[in-house]
Amino acid sequence: MTEKKEPESRKAAEEVRIGVYVCHCGLNIAGSVDCAEVAKFAATLPHVVLAKDNRYTCSDQGQDQIKKDIKENRLNRVVVASCSPRLHEPTFRKTCEEAGLNKYLFEMANIREQCSWVHLYDKKEATEKAKDLVKVAAAKAALLEPAEEAEVPITRKALVIGGGVAGIQAALDLADTGYNVYLVEKEPSIGGMMARIDKTFPTMDCSICILAPKMSDVGHHPNIELLTNSEVTEVKGYIGNFHVKVLKKPRYVTKDCSACGECVKVCPIVVPNEFDVGLAIRHGIYTPFAQAVPSTYIIDMNVCLNKDGVVVCDRCMKACERQAVRYEMTPETADLEVGTIIVATGADVFDPTALPNYGYGKYENVITSLEFERLINAGGPSGGHLLRPSDKQIPKRVAFVQCVGSRSDKSGKLYCSNVCCMNTIKDSLLIKEHWPETEIYVFYVDIRAYGKGFEDLYKRARKAGVIFIRGLPAEIVEDKKNRSLWLLGENSLQNELYKIKVDMAVLSIGLEPRKDSELIQRLLTLSRTQDGFFMEAHPKLRPVDAATGGIFFAGCAEAPKDIKDSVTQASAAAARAGILMAKGKVTVEAITPIFYPEKCKVCGLCVKVCPYNAITLNKDLKRIELIEAACGGCGTCAAECPFGALTQKHFTDEQIIAQVDAVTENSPEKKIVAFCCNWCSYAAADFAGVSRMQYPPNVRIIRTMCSGRVAPKFVERAFARGAATVLVAGCHLGDCHYINANYQMQKRVERLQKKMEQSGLNKERLQLLWASAAEGERFASKIREMKTIVESVTSKEIEASQKVFEKALTGV
Amino acid sequence: METAKTTNLKATLERILDIEKLKYCFDCGICTASCSMAELLGKDYNPRRLLERIVLNPDSVLSSEELWLCAWCYRCYKRCPQALKVPEIFLLMRTISVERGNVQASEKALKKIVEKIPLPFITTLVGFHPERAGLDMKKVIEKMEELLREDSKRRKKKKTTGASGEKVAVIGSGPAGLTVASELSHKGFHVTVFELLPELGGMLRKCIPEYRLPRQILDKEIQLIKDLGVEIRTGVSVGKDLGFEDLWKDGFRAVFIGTGAHKSQKLKVEGAELKSVIHALDFLWSVHSDGKVEVGKNVVVIGGGNVAVDAARTALNLGAKDVTILYRRSREEMPANPWEVKEGEEAGVKIEFLVAPAKILGEGAVSAIECVRTQLGEPDDTGRRKAIPIEGSAFKRETDMVILAIGEAPDLEFLPKETELNEDGSLWVNPITMETSMQGIFAGGDAVTGPASVIEAICAGKHAAESIASYLRSRGG
Amino acid sequence: MPERIKHKPLDIDKVKPPKAEIHIITDQCKGCGYCIQFCPKQVLEESKEINARGVHPPKIVDESKCILCSFCTAVCPDFAIYTTEKKCAEGC
Ligand SMILES: Cc1cc2nc3c(=O)[nH]c(=O)nc-3n(C[C@H](O)[C@H](O)[C@H](O)COP(=O)(O)OP(=O)(O)OC[C@H]3O[C@@H](n4cnc5c(N)ncnc54)[C@H](O)[C@@H]3O)c2cc1C
Ligand SMILES: Cc1cc2nc3c(=O)[nH]c(=O)nc-3n(C[C@H](O)[C@H](O)[C@H](O)COP(=O)(O)OP(=O)(O)OC[C@H]3O[C@@H](n4cnc5c(N)ncnc54)[C@H](O)[C@@H]3O)c2cc1C
Ligand code: SF4
Ligand code: SF4
Ligand code: SF4
Ligand code: SF4
Repeated sequence: MTEKKEPESRKAAEEVRIGVYVCHCGLNIAGSVDCAEVAKFAATLPHVVLAKDNRYTCSDQGQDQIKKDIKENRLNRVVVASCSPRLHEPTFRKTCEEAGLNKYLFEMANIREQCSWVHLYDKKEATEKAKDLVKVAAAKAALLEPAEEAEVPITRKALVIGGGVAGIQAALDLADTGYNVYLVEKEPSIGGMMARIDKTFPTMDCSICILAPKMSDVGHHPNIELLTNSEVTEVKGYIGNFHVKVLKKPRYVTKDCSACGECVKVCPIVVPNEFDVGLAIRHGIYTPFAQAVPSTYIIDMNVCLNKDGVVVCDRCMKACERQAVRYEMTPETADLEVGTIIVATGADVFDPTALPNYGYGKYENVITSLEFERLINAGGPSGGHLLRPSDKQIPKRVAFVQCVGSRSDKSGKLYCSNVCCMNTIKDSLLIKEHWPETEIYVFYVDIRAYGKGFEDLYKRARKAGVIFIRGLPAEIVEDKKNRSLWLLGENSLQNELYKIKVDMAVLSIGLEPRKDSELIQRLLTLSRTQDGFFMEAHPKLRPVDAATGGIFFAGCAEAPKDIKDSVTQASAAAARAGILMAKGKVTVEAITPIFYPEKCKVCGLCVKVCPYNAITLNKDLKRIELIEAACGGCGTCAAECPFGALTQKHFTDEQIIAQVDAVTENSPEKKIVAFCCNWCSYAAADFAGVSRMQYPPNVRIIRTMCSGRVAPKFVERAFARGAATVLVAGCHLGDCHYINANYQMQKRVERLQKKMEQSGLNKERLQLLWASAAEGERFASKIREMKTIVESVTSKEIEASQKVFEKALTGV
Repeated sequence: METAKTTNLKATLERILDIEKLKYCFDCGICTASCSMAELLGKDYNPRRLLERIVLNPDSVLSSEELWLCAWCYRCYKRCPQALKVPEIFLLMRTISVERGNVQASEKALKKIVEKIPLPFITTLVGFHPERAGLDMKKVIEKMEELLREDSKRRKKKKTTGASGEKVAVIGSGPAGLTVASELSHKGFHVTVFELLPELGGMLRKCIPEYRLPRQILDKEIQLIKDLGVEIRTGVSVGKDLGFEDLWKDGFRAVFIGTGAHKSQKLKVEGAELKSVIHALDFLWSVHSDGKVEVGKNVVVIGGGNVAVDAARTALNLGAKDVTILYRRSREEMPANPWEVKEGEEAGVKIEFLVAPAKILGEGAVSAIECVRTQLGEPDDTGRRKAIPIEGSAFKRETDMVILAIGEAPDLEFLPKETELNEDGSLWVNPITMETSMQGIFAGGDAVTGPASVIEAICAGKHAAESIASYLRSRGG
Repeated sequence: MPERIKHKPLDIDKVKPPKAEIHIITDQCKGCGYCIQFCPKQVLEESKEINARGVHPPKIVDESKCILCSFCTAVCPDFAIYTTEKKCAEGC
């Protein structure tokens, strides 16, 4: 816990000496901002002892310059005006540290993503804005304080959620490194999608043959505890110290089972086997497939005759020589302590019922690519003979329809599912291998054969005589006489309509996020991208890390991908988790609260809003207690405290108010003062920049870690100083990186808006925005929209709001 | 999408390309394959290519006749994976073309319509809608009449191919049936049209609102077909007045079924039998037959299709003060064509979404309707998102007339039992030959597709006529 | 595995569910209804008929649904119901 006396002494203690570096970023910034002029302006700012512009501040020379200046000019604060702090803050912090300056004495002004790139054609305005941004950064820099990062020990055990090929690989890698691993799988067996497919592209080797050895390694590994038929129900704690509850559903068969299968013969219950997408049957007691791990059989209590402890049928029990059947088993909960978590929950497949014109579910001979895998699989219901469902005959003409549920704005998902093109090519070759006479048509819009060996496979299919037709069928019609199918569409290369008759049609269905991924998202406080897959911390540089510390992704949970990529990612995730655990401890960013006990009235408001339960009220001692290690760093407690007893390190009230004051120093009546959270809305603004979306230059963004940090007094201060409008932006509700802190911000903003309304102010002047990191356009259009509001605000209105919020000018 | 009055082509285009996501078209060809006009005109019309040209070379499109050949059935939009509002994109281009004073393109298109599309006047009014782009409908009709005179001269010269004069029965005189009758007569067959109603025209006469299709134009077009020597037998319900089997005995060698979709779906709630609860088709039919309908002051229409919108507008025209459509899903799911909905709303029809009727109240006559609010759930077996009632959301709404427009289906009782139907109860045909599962019996139009559009019925009719001709030829006289 | 199951299992004909014959000794039944209540497959229901003991004995609704668990035999306090496996002549 950081308890402090009021920081009165500091100003006197040392002279603040700021160095400012304005980066050209080649022409990326210099193309629309006059960097020399910005540097000249910076030199005039208070405490700035030196201001320079250079071509690439992040280059070695640029960094050396900073180090040199720190030493030679006794700089004790550094401001770099360049790209987004989300990109290079760590770089420059390191530079400072290397020169002996505490890394928390560094500040950035984002004049690329949030200035030069979004005002490409207005050099004058862009330059003015850049100056303002540097002024704001310098104002904060003057108030920065050095901080030490706390160290937290890490439990050297890992949890892997999901036992598909990705989860299996990650678990094996970690276990081989020597860590204990819990692998939690919700199905009765591990294996995931790969266990269900027949051959794998591009090498065409047998899927289960290469997977089964890995599966049994998992089963036997001394360092892996396998929990199948189990689900994670609760996750508490933080990086290095997660407390996890897992619900182990009963199998009703003990480990004594030798997988002899005698029980199955006597079970009278017959239902479709989910593993075979219902194309084969199973019994009430069963194993989903021959190579299942664990091999222990399982009873499906939903269909078993024995319910609620009444034993109606005991045939399997009697048949079992090893007395492994136990109808009375009950669910158990396992409590696990782990330091890292790997999420490898995979993906679901698209349900083509949503496309009625393809007749899936109506016409027996329209099947999905997943069903095809089971049909052509030697271990599948037809023993590997490709039979069409209606008459169990081998089809002579087969059609594949691509992009079903993918790349569509209406029926399905916007993205390309990545595996279906190659999967179809593989499937077409499999048919050709067994039945070379079969006529095969592939209806596609683009064939995406981008990976190693993919193009070769594509050529092999063409060589084998597979016919590729560009243009998807608009409709599939069944011939009621013989259950064959007509595909009606346009060959868009030939500009000709086609009507092609086949015996069987395979819909190449896409992959989509797990239907229950919301649950995992909530349990682990993850975020998801717009398409619903889990979002990585950085798409290029931290592709397997979650934004939440200690959590990593592998496989299709992060995005649709093939087996090779899933495995690669799994090993990467294992390595990342291993690095953390090898260190044995982590440092947490020094953005935890600072507590001034003498100001605290023990009202307990902070306790209520803390998403991590890191603040507790000790009733006996009548005081507030802070558990720094549990703190997530959102700062919402600081925003909530009415008495100023809490503030956040590196985002102190003073610092933020200094930023507000700097923004509102010149022509506040023309400005939008925007508070953006680091993870979503600030990232959205960055994304708008990266995408060169143009929007009006009158917005000034003040970054906080979470929108929950935005205290009403900051907004009030902005209005009191004459700002035309204020924007508070955060992650979508439910996507907050600090569990739910953004709900607090919503409440606060709504309260403020009400106050404005009651005082006769136009409440439109205070806006709220939810924008995910991918929603650059949403951010940009909000700014465009707010520009019109700014233009409509009269000087009378500004005066009125200054009056209403007058109080905010005093008492900091 | 609004039509811009003053247009800067480049800016406007940029806008529509973005709003309508036109740049996202990935040439899957589904639109063209769904388009009746593309099927009728072959190489002369291809909506996908036209869209591509709008992106690549918009100027060339402005003077293209193809722009005027879309018949606004929205079938492409309903299937396009990117949900491009194809007809509305074309409308924008048409509008720009007209504003630029480009008349030739539309006139060339009219010529093509007169020459190649059966029932050209009707389709122009209920399908092509040149007026939406600002053309004067009166002038269009005059121009078409002139073109028709030229065309019939040309046709007279090109004598009909003398077929054997075999007898073909056409059941139903909607656009599908009329097209078959006219096409086969031209080919020299002897066609008899059986129609249950006293007059010909099917839905065109029965239901399509007068403001869209003035009946004298319908009469004129039908007269042209009568003039071809088609035998007409109105007031005959095949199945009741005349056994289906009798047709073969009477010497017919092939039969075309174009009986449309006239069976109104029933609403299964309490009070549906009250007075002033009326099915939309019955309501429209009585408006157009005897005109003796009393509309309420405060009308509620239940449903979300084109029929609901037309019924609502008709009620408004007849003097209702307030007409509100209640639809249980949201705007995106509404099966009615977006443009029709927009026009309806502009005419004063109100629409409430996510509302389902629970009970109709009243003694004798209707006094109110009890509704519940709904929310959308997972897609059901038909792929549409289910409307799930929200508990405790019931509310009452006063009304003195309830019009039910919750869907129509074909009534095919009169057919032999063994005839194959589709899963939704419509008639199954071989898509290549338009033949049903019964030899010699062909079908097309709403009876096969379920409620659709005039142009689709005509296309099916034309397709079937060709197929019947080759069927009869192959069986040889 | 959350996929919707849309097709009939291809090997459904291969499994031969046991063919049961249910024997009800009507007049021995005392009408307790246990067999009806406990049958896991809802094969039995109360009949309209009145037996010698003046109660409604069970009757068979659908014998083909019986999976021969013989639970009815086990729960019947008066030994009024039992099942046997049908020996099929045609080798079914
Ligand atoms: C029809 C089809 C054919 C394909 N063919 C090929 C091919 O030929 N070559 C190729 O390279 N790729 C192919 N792929 C892609 C390949 O299947 C995937 O890349 C791979 O299976 C991804 O592995 P995964 O471990 O990420 O996910 P999955 O295999 O989906 O495994 C995820 C596992 O997590 C479990 N799980 C999910 N949620 C939870 C939870 N909440 N708690 C506990 N457990 C959970 C699931 O039960 C599952 O076992 C194909 C995909 C499909 C659909
Ligand atoms: C209110 C309304 C508005 C519409 N507006 C438009 C529009 O603006 N544009 C557009 O393109 N489409 C519109 N449509 C759709 C269009 O009218 C139909 O798609 C089209 O008419 C279908 O043509 P059809 O020939 O298949 O059948 P129909 O036009 O329905 O004709 C079938 C005929 O068969 C007769 N019949 C039925 N059973 C028998 C029997 N057993 N014996 C003898 N005769 C029988 C019927 O009486 C009827 O006359 C509208 C439909 C409605 C209901
Ligand atoms: S439960 Fe018993 S009978 Fe069944 S497979 Fe296992 S050991 Fe064999
Ligand atoms: S991989 Fe191919 S079939 Fe799958 S979505 Fe992408 S383009 Fe379509
Ligand atoms: S259906 Fe849509 S995406 Fe496909 S070609 Fe037509 S407009 Fe393009
Ligand atoms: S609206 Fe109909 S006629 Fe027009 S392009 Fe689309 S499918 Fe063709």
